[in-house]
Amino acid sequence: MKRFSFPLVVLALMLAMPALSAFAAEKTLTIGVDQEAIGLDPNIVTAFSSHRRIDLLYNRLVRIDDKLAIVPDLAASWENPDNVTYIFHLRRGVKFHNGREMVADDVAYSLNRVLDPKTASPGRSYLATATSITAMDAYTVKIILSGPLPSLLDGLSSNNLAIVPKEAVEKEGNLQKVAVGTGPFMLKEWLPDNSMTLVRNPNYFEKGLPLLDKVIFRVIPEQASLYAGVKSGELDMATISEGAIVRQAKKDAKVTVMSKPGINLRTFGFNNTRKPFDDIRVRQALALAIDRSEIIAAAEFGMGQATGPLPVSVVEWALPPASLPFAKPDFDKARKLLADAGYPAGFTFKIVTASTYEGGLAVAQVIQNQLSKIGVKAELDVVEWGVYIDRWVKRDFDSMVEIRGGSAEPDRFLYRTLHSTGGVNNFLFKDAEVDKLLDQGRALTKNSERKAVYDKLQTVLTEKAPVIFLYSPMENQVMGKKVSGFKQVGNGSIFYLSTTTVSN
Amino acid sequence: MGRYIIRRLLSLIPVLLGVSIIVFFLVRLIPGSALQMYLGTQVEATAEQMVELQRLFGEDKPVPVLYVEWLGRIMTGDFGHSLRTGRAVLPDILSRLPLSLEITLMALVLALAIGVPLGVLSSLKQRPFTDITIRVTGLLGLSLPQFWLAALMVMAFSGFRGWIPMGNFISLWDDPVKNLRMLFLPSLAIGIGLAAVIMRYTRNSMLEVLQSDYIRTAKAKGLSRRTVIVRHALRNAILPVITVAGFNVGYLLGGAIVIEEVFALPGMGRLALYAIYQRDYPVIQAIVLLIATLFVVVNLITDLIYALVDPRIRLDEKAR
Amino acid sequence: MNASRFTKNPIAMTGLAIVLFYVAIILVSLVWLPFDPVAMDMDLLLDPPSFKTGHLFGTDEFGRDILSRIMSGCAVSLIISLGATALGAVAGTLLGIWAGFLGGRWDHWLMRVADVLFSFPSLLLAIFVMAILGERTYNVVIAIGIVYIPQFARISRGAILSLKNQEFVRAAFSNGAGKSYVLFRHLLPNILVPLIVQVSLSLSVAILLESALSFLGLGIQPPAPSWGNMLSAARKLMMIAPWTAVYPGLAIVFLVLGFNLLGDGLRDVLDPRLRNAR
Repeated sequence: MKRFSFPLVVLALMLAMPALSAFAAEKTLTIGVDQEAIGLDPNIVTAFSSHRRIDLLYNRLVRIDDKLAIVPDLAASWENPDNVTYIFHLRRGVKFHNGREMVADDVAYSLNRVLDPKTASPGRSYLATATSITAMDAYTVKIILSGPLPSLLDGLSSNNLAIVPKEAVEKEGNLQKVAVGTGPFMLKEWLPDNSMTLVRNPNYFEKGLPLLDKVIFRVIPEQASLYAGVKSGELDMATISEGAIVRQAKKDAKVTVMSKPGINLRTFGFNNTRKPFDDIRVRQALALAIDRSEIIAAAEFGMGQATGPLPVSVVEWALPPASLPFAKPDFDKARKLLADAGYPAGFTFKIVTASTYEGGLAVAQVIQNQLSKIGVKAELDVVEWGVYIDRWVKRDFDSMVEIRGGSAEPDRFLYRTLHSTGGVNNFLFKDAEVDKLLDQGRALTKNSERKAVYDKLQTVLTEKAPVIFLYSPMENQVMGKKVSGFKQVGNGSIFYLSTTTVSN
Repeated sequence: MGRYIIRRLLSLIPVLLGVSIIVFFLVRLIPGSALQMYLGTQVEATAEQMVELQRLFGEDKPVPVLYVEWLGRIMTGDFGHSLRTGRAVLPDILSRLPLSLEITLMALVLALAIGVPLGVLSSLKQRPFTDITIRVTGLLGLSLPQFWLAALMVMAFSGFRGWIPMGNFISLWDDPVKNLRMLFLPSLAIGIGLAAVIMRYTRNSMLEVLQSDYIRTAKAKGLSRRTVIVRHALRNAILPVITVAGFNVGYLLGGAIVIEEVFALPGMGRLALYAIYQRDYPVIQAIVLLIATLFVVVNLITDLIYALVDPRIRLDEKAR
Repeated sequence: MNASRFTKNPIAMTGLAIVLFYVAIILVSLVWLPFDPVAMDMDLLLDPPSFKTGHLFGTDEFGRDILSRIMSGCAVSLIISLGATALGAVAGTLLGIWAGFLGGRWDHWLMRVADVLFSFPSLLLAIFVMAILGERTYNVVIAIGIVYIPQFARISRGAILSLKNQEFVRAAFSNGAGKSYVLFRHLLPNILVPLIVQVSLSLSVAILLESALSFLGLGIQPPAPSWGNMLSAARKLMMIAPWTAVYPGLAIVFLVLGFNLLGDGLRDVLDPRLRNAR
């Protein structure tokens, strides 16, 4: 028996060697996130956590790069014969994960699926004025609008308008649990609340990419554990939102921290139909009591940038808050405005906030502190997240601290947020001048003309203060020294994992 | 005996029915809904879309109608789909059950392993100092907020690979060693409190038994101290301890919720917690029903054990 | 109940001492605190404990003094604990007495309901109730109180059942005594002992439950200091500022320990079976 087994062992090892070395050469990146994805169907999902997975599994017609510019994705080029018609020329030879080539019919199918009320897609409003989307030939798609929509390209870059294959949707009903996209990675295994494994798409249309063979998502709700994981090497990378921990990580020589101001905005908004917020002087007084730098320091440990109505990182459009009214606190002026409005002794009101997700409890506490300096007493109405949303939907609040998802293009964000017919204008703000400027910005097509309009709009919005824009939180990624090639995108997308690699 | 069991099992049905009705109506009293949370504050939905969404999220019919439909589907084993993830509810819960059961069992074992010996020791020592030290230590275990202990553990052990499951849970079948190592700390965090309770019950029970004539007889017979303690006293004393352990399964399950959250374990406790946060009605309803069933069954078993062994003790007393 | 037995029992005395210490802290906090518990100091965010700054336990993420917050949170925790225990004890005992007295099918079904309530992990039940009622401080009292009802009901019902058929009770009834008279004169003294012990233990558990609820974001809401919500905020800061978690945690541990020692000691003193144990 003994004589036999030794050569057998050697033989087994020799046979295993190639497999072992291939295994050893496989590049895997493990990324820690604090929330599990809730479904993977790009046209349906709303949760940020889901979007992060979709970043790697699907493509859209165009995408936003790390400088917030629109660049080709599935569409190689496009043209506007007039301001209501768009023609997209698709890349050729792009394959879905099921092997079939992606063609114009797929684009038409996907975008029409988004428009279909039965899909109840959150991305529908991005195509709001589209009247027809057709495939002109195998690689050309035509979109016709009922009126100009300068934010169309920005909307098309959203994951909600990603391109999906018809047969997969029809077979499964929806794509919540499977992933059949064209993206750089394919879904291999999903253990909810545990891990999700993606593997390299060998047919990805960007030659040579992705550089990684495997990406594994691990769901770890504790921010401190995420950091500890990167330090110990159990995680290669982690998305950390907690300012205090990021600050600590920056001092740590064992990890690299990438921080970039995002395009989300932290806001302190009013119900403009409730007293005393229907009086512009009161709103302005409160705006003059707010010290943004203090809020950023206390609530985000410095991990944020003060902003005006447009996310400050969108340098093409945003005016820096320093150039806008009420940039610095002025308590005397604030008190005078309050007295003029009939509140010389201040007043009491409630701020609705939540301690989880984007509820902004920390921000609310600092605001409460700051407002007390002008005699205004803010009471915190701290509710659970589900109740927070309920109050938002019912517009049942005096004021609320929120996070709003901005956009790289001013119309998409500002119109729906502040136009009197805007779908997420829960401030119940109706102002003729603002409406006019918003409509103008939407109707004009030349960016140089639009810039003048949006510059004026930002100043007007800050003066009228229906909502006070506070800061843009930073997007933070903490990674080990072995990771290289990653680039952040302001909207949090981790698309650049396709150009990332780990050294062994 | 058989009839007793059947009667108890049958009484399960009205209890579960009552529980299901109460839960079904109560969860819908909580402000907010899964649909609202899905839309959040960023999504604009048209009126047409809302109609469709309400149908998808099960909000389009009056509640009693929804209840009857749900009840009907349960009879066929269909517990519906999660409002958030769209996944079928029952398979999801069942897939997490082994982990929660494993933690609960480990916690129970650890609690017994720590509590019983300490309880026995404390009952034997005639020196009050040792007795008091052990008792105070035991009570200290009961005084620690579990989540605090868990968070401290995570902080202390994060640097060591394998002791904290970093979203990388390995099941028992895949790798028993790694699995046990990963669940040791969470189970300990849950079990410490119960260990203190068990310690106290063991001590009291032992004290009582040690006074009995039965033991004096054994001592008089000349049996070694060790034999007396372990084979006679402990055997009789252990019974109330086991029943207490059984009754405290609910406590273990409750502790599991926060521990699972802090340690990031994909168990039932966390599922229940998130389901409540997210107003995931089908999941909440299914879990509640499951817990109620589990408890009544555990209760029944514990009562049976007690009834089975009880006559023996009574016989001993009569022998005085 | 023999007072000297109590004073001779070191465990009970230590427990009492600890509880009284906390009561003293509460009384002091009504007139004096080192700092204003909600005052933010932007220059000293997340500062470690030091004598120099006067923040003996350090500051939290808003520069608020942790020691002051612990002291003012003490009163909140104790009030909730007392309130919830009182609610549960009164409601539960009444329920148990009612069930025991009525007997028969009422008893059977009431106990089934109590059993189901009891079966639920207390934390889950409390979370559920809080979700329905909303996060107000008095709702925390109600939620925890509801959790306690089955335990107290069990005690009183057990006592009622065992006494209902005893000779002296039947004798009292046959002598024309009214139900309430029998209740107060004979029944209550008998359940007093297990009740007292259960109360002291419930007080300790209530503090843990409240802190767990606050930790999950469902209990007392900031900026009002509660030990539980201090730990909740400290959760993400623990690695870089451990004092934010350690001190509030210790405050909880020792008060709970105090109640537990008290309860255990009382059990020693009052339980007739153990009287002759040594």
